Amino acid sequence: MNPGRVKAWLTAPALGLVVALVLPTVVVLLRLAFCRPAHGTGFYQPGSFTLEHFQRLFSGDGVALLAFTLGFALAVAAGVLLLVCPLVWPMRHWQGGWLLAGALLLLAPRLAGPLAPLVALKRVLPQGVLAAWLAEVYLILPYAALVLLGHLRGVDWTVLETARGLGARRSQVLRRIALPLALPGIWLAGQLALGWGLGAFLGPELLAGPAGRTLASDLHHQAFDNSRWPLAAAEGTVLLLLVGLVFLARPPRRWLGEAP
Amino acid sequence: MHGNEPSLTSAEPEAILRLSGVSFAHGGQTVLHGIDLALVAGTLTTLLGPSGSGKTTLLRIIAGHLQPAPGTVWLGGQNATHFPPEERGLGMVHQHLALFPHLSARRNISFGLEVRGVPRREACSRADATLDLVGLEVTARDRLPDTLSGGQKQRVAIGRALAFGPKLLLLDEPFTALDRQLRQQMRGELKRIQRESGVTTLLVTHDQEEALGLSESIIALRDGRVVQQGAPAELYQRPRDPWLAGFLGDANLVTTGIFMRSQPGEVLLVRPEELLPGTRRDHGDGDCPLIGQAHSVSFRGASCLVTFEADGLFWKMLVPGENSPRVGDRIESILPATAGWNISRGCRP
Repeated sequence: MNPGRVKAWLTAPALGLVVALVLPTVVVLLRLAFCRPAHGTGFYQPGSFTLEHFQRLFSGDGVALLAFTLGFALAVAAGVLLLVCPLVWPMRHWQGGWLLAGALLLLAPRLAGPLAPLVALKRVLPQGVLAAWLAEVYLILPYAALVLLGHLRGVDWTVLETARGLGARRSQVLRRIALPLALPGIWLAGQLALGWGLGAFLGPELLAGPAGRTLASDLHHQAFDNSRWPLAAAEGTVLLLLVGLVFLARPPRRWLGEAP
Repeated sequence: MHGNEPSLTSAEPEAILRLSGVSFAHGGQTVLHGIDLALVAGTLTTLLGPSGSGKTTLLRIIAGHLQPAPGTVWLGGQNATHFPPEERGLGMVHQHLALFPHLSARRNISFGLEVRGVPRREACSRADATLDLVGLEVTARDRLPDTLSGGQKQRVAIGRALAFGPKLLLLDEPFTALDRQLRQQMRGELKRIQRESGVTTLLVTHDQEEALGLSESIIALRDGRVVQQGAPAELYQRPRDPWLAGFLGDANLVTTGIFMRSQPGEVLLVRPEELLPGTRRDHGDGDCPLIGQAHSVSFRGASCLVTFEADGLFWKMLVPGENSPRVGDRIESILPATAGWNISRGCRP
């Protein structure tokens, strides 16, 4: 049996499980998003069809909610990238104990769970969007760092020395060699942070207050406080589409410096 | 630039590179001990030594990636010890080539020109001329390094180091990863490229065959010290050091003293090819017959290295491959009167 086929067989159970778990959820979510809301205690009116939830999302307050969510997510991604690049860059050469210590330092606070640092932040920062932003950056940073570190450690960085030997100044080496080579990792870390930021819930919910409501926190309110499950499902669908778009995006070829 | 340092231009007009007392320590261990050497313009010189002898460290000091402590690096008569790599104008080919994986073969080569301000179009046109020189096919020029063969990558790496017209080309064991046939081919190509471009070249290698076959001059390095510098034939036939004699090829190193040739305690070098097959009847005045039994036989194709024991000593002798003896066969050979080199005295016996 060829190695490709062996790999496919080994991957099949995990892939099957993911499909089995995700696909029905997505189908239910999509179906629910187009149903009319129920009256009284029911979740929705079975067999009904409407676009009103999406119309509501793309008009008036809905647009403001979407815009805020997008802006918040972009700010989280930017914050993560600004921190993660200088944090991880020196770690690309670390070996043995140093690497382990660095990785633990990145992960250890996160291993305590998301609530502990958020409660701590709530004690030291005034309630607001800034505190929520800081919390979300803090929560996703270790994952983004590991993604970027994994990429950077796979690159042969002797090319930087080579570039200087060929006459390139430090700034030229950074712009023409280091950045294009690091970009796939930076891009992936950015995608992760942006995807995370779009779905930000805990930070806005606990630290931002009503002024910092995102799509995810509004979804929670619509479903559990207002019992408007179809609207919540429509918000979930939009969120899913946005996150999907984020992960499908690829960096422009010229950013990677690819051959003409 | 250290303006108060004297220029060596007048003293050494032809030395494009000169190292004076270059030492280097790393982790409390001295890697290089006061290296002095000079490279004559237009020549291909080899820095030869075993692993851990400090070759790559010395090359990195010359390239400006490491600082000697103490020591001085002179480039074209200028004290360049503290020049950063980008100001030295040297082309370097790394052991693992270190091609820019995100740039095509052509863009790899034009990189050195572009960072010097040459417009992209002109840089690419000059890169094509360099690619012609190194012999890279037109169809491979727009491909990324990952899609090139080992030989093509070598050509790109050499071309990239040559394209901007360096004062000196540094090659750090560039052929190590190639198979034997390709290595032979690339050695020939390097020789041709060096001859056509006329660039002074310093090649680092641990391969004696490569050093002897390629270079006009060899600098032998051991434990961070220069053992000897000279023409390949000089080092091979007249080494100053028993270790170098053995490192450069198969050698009989006799220390027990041989009548009329060496005294006990002196080291006499006799290369296997200097021993001639023959019988006691064939030898002339001063020739020394050696008769014994084959102890081991190593077949090498065209020739065969036979180790035999005679008069209590083990001798290595080359015989034609078709006359390969078997272990235990009787071996008759002659050590001619003119053969051998007395390493201790530095003269013929």
